[in-house]
Amino acid sequence: MVEVRNLTKRYGANLAVDHVSFTIDEGSIVGFLGPNGAGKSTTMNIITGYLSATDGSVSVSGKNTLDDPNDVKRLIGYLPEQPPLYLEMTVKEYLNFVYELKKCSLPRQKHLEEICQLVKIDNVYHRLIGNLSKGYKQRVGIAQALIGNPPVLILDEPTVGLDPKQIIEIRTLIKNLGRNHTIILSSHILPEVQAVCERIIVINNGKLVADGATDTLAHDLSKDHRLIMRAEGPEKEIVHAIAAMEHVADVYSLGEKEPGACDFSVESALDVDIRRDLFALMARNGWPVLALKNTDLTLEDLFLQLTSTDAAISGKEEE
Amino acid sequence: MVAVFKRELRSYFSSPIGYVCVAALAALYGFFYFVVMVQGSSSFIPNIVYSTMFNFSMLVIPIITMRSMTDDQKNKTDQILLTAPVGVTSIVAGKFLACFVVFFIASTIGLFPGVAMSFFSSPGWGEIIGNYLGTLLYGGAMISIGVFISSLTISQIIAAIGTFAVSVFLMYIDALASSINNAVVATVVSWISFSNRYTTFTQGLFSVSSTVFFLSVMAIFVFLTARRVESRRWS
Repeated sequence: MVEVRNLTKRYGANLAVDHVSFTIDEGSIVGFLGPNGAGKSTTMNIITGYLSATDGSVSVSGKNTLDDPNDVKRLIGYLPEQPPLYLEMTVKEYLNFVYELKKCSLPRQKHLEEICQLVKIDNVYHRLIGNLSKGYKQRVGIAQALIGNPPVLILDEPTVGLDPKQIIEIRTLIKNLGRNHTIILSSHILPEVQAVCERIIVINNGKLVADGATDTLAHDLSKDHRLIMRAEGPEKEIVHAIAAMEHVADVYSLGEKEPGACDFSVESALDVDIRRDLFALMARNGWPVLALKNTDLTLEDLFLQLTSTDAAISGKEEE
Repeated sequence: MVAVFKRELRSYFSSPIGYVCVAALAALYGFFYFVVMVQGSSSFIPNIVYSTMFNFSMLVIPIITMRSMTDDQKNKTDQILLTAPVGVTSIVAGKFLACFVVFFIASTIGLFPGVAMSFFSSPGWGEIIGNYLGTLLYGGAMISIGVFISSLTISQIIAAIGTFAVSVFLMYIDALASSINNAVVATVVSWISFSNRYTTFTQGLFSVSSTVFFLSVMAIFVFLTARRVESRRWS
């Protein structure tokens, strides 16, 4: 559906996107993950035709962005990072304007009503966009992208700046839209992408560093071997005892968190589950374990892993 | 193009800008007409009243055009325009037309003194219509230049001052022509002169070559603005 080949964008001496290639199948939800300034927005802007690439090509449904720009634009609904809203217009005027701008041929009244109900903006339909809250503005931005029912939706950080309830609503909306749209969304929040997307493409410094199904990628990466344990007992003795265990790579105390109880960070060797042995050790010594959990994989960890140990994964994406 | 034109025109009249431009011009027209009437020199209507009105119109054009291209760039609304299945030229043409219609409304009010006069005497309609048409053509050309200048910057102030400077320069370019010794250069300069072309109309004469000249200027600057917007994609 969307095919990006060797995409490169250069701003003067600064290489914003560096030979990025990927293909997205019809009907899938793909997450673009990367820190700020990684090149996510630039890539999206190039796919939608807002910017042009220094090198490489983009085609949607077999149509090239350079040869048939208007045909490609008709296939894409785009929500930029900052929703392109005219604040002096009402929601109704704005959506009608977009409808005319995109030269839609669907029945106007019905189409706009459906979209408003879908993104839940029918109650603000007659209000000025400038007076709406950030969450509603974001939804009007999504509504705008949906006009004309384009098969591909590109959403640049759709949940940024929203409150937790709105974030959940927007995520549910995106999942629902994913049933009959191809969606590319960007985010710098890993759990968000995990929650919504079937596939993750990780970009850092303009380069594609990982590309894979969310489950496998998250599993590969979050074979996280660091445990956080809270236990009651003498701090130093516990550290010594754990350090002496088999397969333990590193252990240190994180300090006293409750009266008489400390948190310990325990790192095991790769592919070894030491939780049972750890429990047995603590039980033998009569040190009660109050809590034991895997550390959540953060974006920082992800990038550390990808940039340090990842010949294997980046090899995969080059196939 | 139609969608952009409608939106732009509406935005002029949903903010005070459109009303202020039209009202200011109408007030100035009225005031000047009144002054001339009080002096009792009614026979000078086309020459004096309309030529002064023309100068007033030129003052308003930078204000009309200053936001045309700058706002979209600043508010990032150009993203929706440029990712919609429409060509850049038709977007720019829509914006140009919206500016022109605001100017057209303001200029049309300038016909009122002539209409008022016609109740008491018979003013020279040829000259009045000539002035009106000339103002529209000259104004249209200036608006296209103003739209182009506004595409060069994201600051409305710079766009307005730049357009104003160019406008004044073009008004007095024939003064430059008369002080050039080289005959060829002088001819070219006076050929470019907007005022020379406009003056024909003020005498109640319809000049095809001047009409074509002004329409060409509009087309060229709409084209240049579109290329300028396009070039930003590649930068």
